[in-house]
Formats: sequence, C-alpha cells, structure tokens
Amino acid sequence: MNVPEPISTDVLHGRHSALEPLYDQVRALFTWGWRVGALVLVVGVVLALARGEPPGASIDPVGEILPTVLSGSAAGLIDLAILWFMILPVLATIVVAVGFARLGDRRYALISLLVLIVLGFSITLALAR
Amino acid sequence: MDLLLTVELGVVAAGAAILGSMLGLGGGVFLVPIFTLFLGIDPKLAIGASAVVVVVNSVVGSSVHLRSRFTNLRLAMLLQVTTALGAILGALFGVGADPSIVYLVFGLVLVYAAVSMGIPRSNKLVALAADPMRLGGIYHDPATGDEVPYVPVRIAPGLGVSLGAGVLSGMLGVGGGVVMVPAMNLLMRVPVKAAVGTSAFMVGVTSVATAFVFYANGKLAPDIIVPAVVGVFLGGQVGSRLTRRIRAQRLSLLFGVILLYLGLSLVLRALGIELPGQQK
Repeated sequence: MNVPEPISTDVLHGRHSALEPLYDQVRALFTWGWRVGALVLVVGVVLALARGEPPGASIDPVGEILPTVLSGSAAGLIDLAILWFMILPVLATIVVAVGFARLGDRRYALISLLVLIVLGFSITLALAR
Repeated sequence: MDLLLTVELGVVAAGAAILGSMLGLGGGVFLVPIFTLFLGIDPKLAIGASAVVVVVNSVVGSSVHLRSRFTNLRLAMLLQVTTALGAILGALFGVGADPSIVYLVFGLVLVYAAVSMGIPRSNKLVALAADPMRLGGIYHDPATGDEVPYVPVRIAPGLGVSLGAGVLSGMLGVGGGVVMVPAMNLLMRVPVKAAVGTSAFMVGVTSVATAFVFYANGKLAPDIIVPAVVGVFLGGQVGSRLTRRIRAQRLSLLFGVILLYLGLSLVLRALGIELPGQQK
C-alpha cells in the first residue's frame, strides 16, 4: 500500500511565495476600505452632531440609502459607512477567489466561490427587505 | 436615543474591547452581555451591533495578520464554507428566537470561554504530514526568529466544529474565534499564531453573513452601532498596547471570573432571575 509522503518545507515555501501577491491585495483592500469607511462615518457623525440630527434607529433599505445620501442626510452617510464596512469581507472573498483562479488553483477558487454563494443568500435576504 | 446613553455605549464598548483584546477574544463576547444586562439594550439590537463591530475589528485586525503572513487563506476559505452556512442558520434562528433562549446559550458560551481559558494552547511543533488538500503553510515567527511549517490535520472534524462555531456566531453576534482558535490549534494542530491570524480573517466573513440577516430583519441600529464601533476601535488600540506591557496571563484569573459572572448572569436572566444593578 502506498503511504503518502510528508510534505517538505521547500514545497511549503514555494506555495507561500506564490500567494504573496494575493496577501498584499487583500491587505490593501482592507487597509483602504477601512480608511474610506472611517472617513464616511466620521463625516456622517460630525454632520449629525453639527445639525443635531441623530443617527437612525434602523438602517434604511439598500434602495433608499443613496437618495438619502444625495439629499445630504447625515443618517444616510452613517448607514452607507456601516454597509460599506459590511461589504469589505465579501469583496475580500471575491479577491481571494479571483487570486486562486489566476494561480491555477481551481479547487480553492471553487471553494471561495462556494463561500460567495453562501454569503449571496444572506445578502439576497437583505436586498429583499 | 439620548446623548448620555450614546456616551455610555461608547465607553462600555471601549471597556469591552480592552478586555477582549487582552484575552484575544475580540469585543463581541463582552459587548452583548454588558449592553443587555447593564444598559437595557434589546438583545437582538445588541447582537446586530456586535456583528457589525466584529466585521470592523476583523478588517482592521486581518490587515496586521496578513502583513505577518500568519493567515492561511486556503484553510480560511475551506472552513468558511461551513462557518458562513452555520452563521446564516444561527442568525435566522436567533433573530426570531425568544430572548431567554439567546440569554441561555450566550451564558453557556461565556461559561465555556471562562473554563477554556484554563486549557493551555499547544505550541508544540508537529512533524509535517502528507498534505493532499494543499492546506499546509509556513510563516516566520518574529518572537522566536524561527520558521514555522505546519500541515492542518483532522479536516472533516474541523469542518464540523466550524459549522457549530458559525451557528453560535450567527445566533449571538460573536465572531466565533472563541471556538475556532482552540479548535484549529488543539484539534487541527495549527500553530497558535496561524490559528489566530486565520480566525481573524474568518470572523469578518462569518459576521457579515450574520449582519446581513439582522439587517434584513431591521435589527441593525446605527444609534447603537456607531458608539459601539468607535468605542471598540479605540478600546482595541488601548488593549493591544496594554497587552504588550502587562502579562495578560497574570490577569487571566480575574478575566475568567468576569466571564463567569457575565455567563451566569445571562443564564439566571434566562431563568427570569435578575441580579442587583442589572437592567431589564
């Protein structure tokens, strides 16, 4: 009977090196995504405080957020920042799926796609609100 | 919501984050019990806020772990399939469940977390095994200067534990790291730093699955989320600096007692018993 060979550290090093760009892409997404979200949130909070306009008791449905933001509402900006933070891990999963596909790693590209499908169910519930 | 309560939420969230980051548990474990027991916040709104806070924490924390290359992206994605699925199921159940059930489960999780603090993590290097799933990884540990290679084992049980962690995460709004880090380390033989880095990435995706379900049910309240996010972010910064200066292990007994107190308080609340100083 064939016993599988233990993996060598050289193979792990090679695999690790191939993933380096993917690590950097996900990190850049999180770093810049966090900055953008924090900026929108701060602007929303400052506007809310300046106008004495409290944040809403519930986030508006997705379709109503953009018109609210465009009308200059502080609560709309705060809702937008919260949803932006919530979408970042979904975007990261897309980046990882595409990254694995580019590396020719079809197994993990498909597994990442499966995660996106599961998340898609949750997002669909939110959009249907 | 009045300004005083908003400030109270922010301060409490900061305190929860300091405790959470010193214990490596994240803020969510403390946030929901303190919001509900002491500030009288609706548990469903507290859980929704906690899920968003966990997402924001994960985005910030993952950047650090990704830079250090502690995160194992293949392992994270594989385990994430069952964790995200569990989170949706847990959230769908939790958002409509009787609060006493949520209190009871949360209380038992906190008691488990308090007890699990006494279980030592394994830093033993395990001989490399075959790696048919291509899940093995290697990272440089700056603390020892060594390279740490590893190959996760017991994948199927790991996927099962992930499903359970996801259900708890979805139901309670915690990230699930409190279950996943020990599971990856002790069950799947992933070194602690890789387990923490991988979990930090995973909890963001898991909590997004939870947060969208709560959003769909109108249970995301910006007037609670904003002070919680700001408080947890600032508290997390203070906590991570304090962790470097203080030996958190020395404080683990005190933190264990706090977790036990909150856990038992929630179990008693589930049974209709309120302790002095707590709100309905």
